[in-house]
Amino acid sequence: MDTSELKNQIAIVGVGYTPQGKLPGRTAVSFHTEAIRNALADAGVEKEQVDAMFLYRHFDPLAGDYDTTAFTVAEQLGIRPSVVGQEKYCTRDWLFNSIGLLASGLCRYVVISYGDNARSGRRSFVKELSGGKATDDLAAFGDLSTMAKYAMQARRAMDVFGTGPEVWKEIAIAQRQWACLNPIASMYGKPLDDAGYYASALVAEPLRLLDATPSSDGGRAIVMTTVDRAKALGRPFAVLRGFGSANQPVSPFRLRVEDTDSAAKLASTQAFRMAGITCKDVDACELYDCFTYTVEATLRDYGFLEGSSPGEFITRTRIGPGGELPVNTSGGMLSEGYFMGLTPVAEAVMQLTGRCGQRQLGVLPGTRAPSVIVCSDNGAVFQSHVTLVLERGA
Amino acid sequence: MEFFEPRINGDTALFWEGCRAHELRFSRCKDCGKVRWPGAYLCPSCLSSEAETAVLPPEGTLYSYVIMDKPFHPSVQDKVPYVVAAVDLAENVRILANILEYDPETLRCGAPVSIAFADSENYSRPIARLKGAAK
Repeated sequence: MDTSELKNQIAIVGVGYTPQGKLPGRTAVSFHTEAIRNALADAGVEKEQVDAMFLYRHFDPLAGDYDTTAFTVAEQLGIRPSVVGQEKYCTRDWLFNSIGLLASGLCRYVVISYGDNARSGRRSFVKELSGGKATDDLAAFGDLSTMAKYAMQARRAMDVFGTGPEVWKEIAIAQRQWACLNPIASMYGKPLDDAGYYASALVAEPLRLLDATPSSDGGRAIVMTTVDRAKALGRPFAVLRGFGSANQPVSPFRLRVEDTDSAAKLASTQAFRMAGITCKDVDACELYDCFTYTVEATLRDYGFLEGSSPGEFITRTRIGPGGELPVNTSGGMLSEGYFMGLTPVAEAVMQLTGRCGQRQLGVLPGTRAPSVIVCSDNGAVFQSHVTLVLERGA
Repeated sequence: MEFFEPRINGDTALFWEGCRAHELRFSRCKDCGKVRWPGAYLCPSCLSSEAETAVLPPEGTLYSYVIMDKPFHPSVQDKVPYVVAAVDLAENVRILANILEYDPETLRCGAPVSIAFADSENYSRPIARLKGAAK
């Protein structure tokens, strides 16, 4: 696939935040609409200009909500996009869908949003059961939860790559250090040390509670358009220098950590080739971190560990504040908030446009202003992946 | 002990009925000879719909495993901790199984296992037994 003509043609021009944490009484729809309103205001785009809208995930409604659909969100924003979409199966099609619509000229402004009341509604991530009945074969073995699927891959990686809790702890602690520089992070003011990590309960061994992202209430949205329109808006923006997308549609228990054609590997190879970069050119990474091990697997598949063991490469000194490869500088989903792929993407745009306060790279001591940030978005259990190579637009 | 009765359908019946009879039954493509797994109407390799039954030997190696410490459903509260394992059989087939007897200190990926079956009221499922381990 030749994507070279699309290099530096697509921009992210707005980011929208909402209050986050535990916010009982708010509907999932209200988080979508508030995040989109704020993203449009950030971009300087009128709501009537939105001609495509993609929602992250169709989740089952919680806490008295009616079903959250793209139609409801559009209705409550008073807009009529030509294209609406909503992911049901945790795929990451939003990126190619948005780029295709913008590059073809079919659409001018695309919004992507996430909203959920997962925390106050106590969302269960046990898809293997519905009403206490099995929805697939996995429940027959008690293989319940997304976490168990990631744990199985993490356990294999321990024996194949020599990783383990001593590496995942570094990820959890480094991201907590970043969160302590981010006042909106759920873990702001809550530092974590080795003892705190090891005291965390084992949930699906080898993973602990602190290896998993907590759920949050809240929303987040971004606005995408072409670089020509982004320039006309006259505000700082981020540009897609490279991107890639891949799926590995196999049942989670059939995945192999030894695979050299994982979705993350294929998507990042496309993105890095298109951008004309290698790992050495990357100033920071904002990586999808549903679990600590996901960060390790992504760094490995992207090629950052080349020649190093996980324990040698992944240290809080390297990936934490002041380190040579900052990773998940908002605190990530583990310590900032869970907005699926929009947690990393929003933070990348904010860093590139210089709006990150005391955690801003280039301002924080020991860091340099970023020119290239790599983002990942990972869906299901390593089955769907997109990579973005972002630069500051001008 | 059992977990949740699997939903048996046209694609999965061969496997689960095999478990009831204590055999690892899969469909084998009549055209290219590959084993279809997970159960499927077409062969993902050659897209043929022709199939015959293959019985695989009840042994393999432990690909990986999870020790489930937290009950993710109230009805498994009295079952934790329990082990969910992925076992590589012959012909590139990997199945799930439970491990009932193990030493957490010596359990390792790559360990050779034999497959037995656990019968419960509503279904039977594969169990992986570590070879050489005390019963």
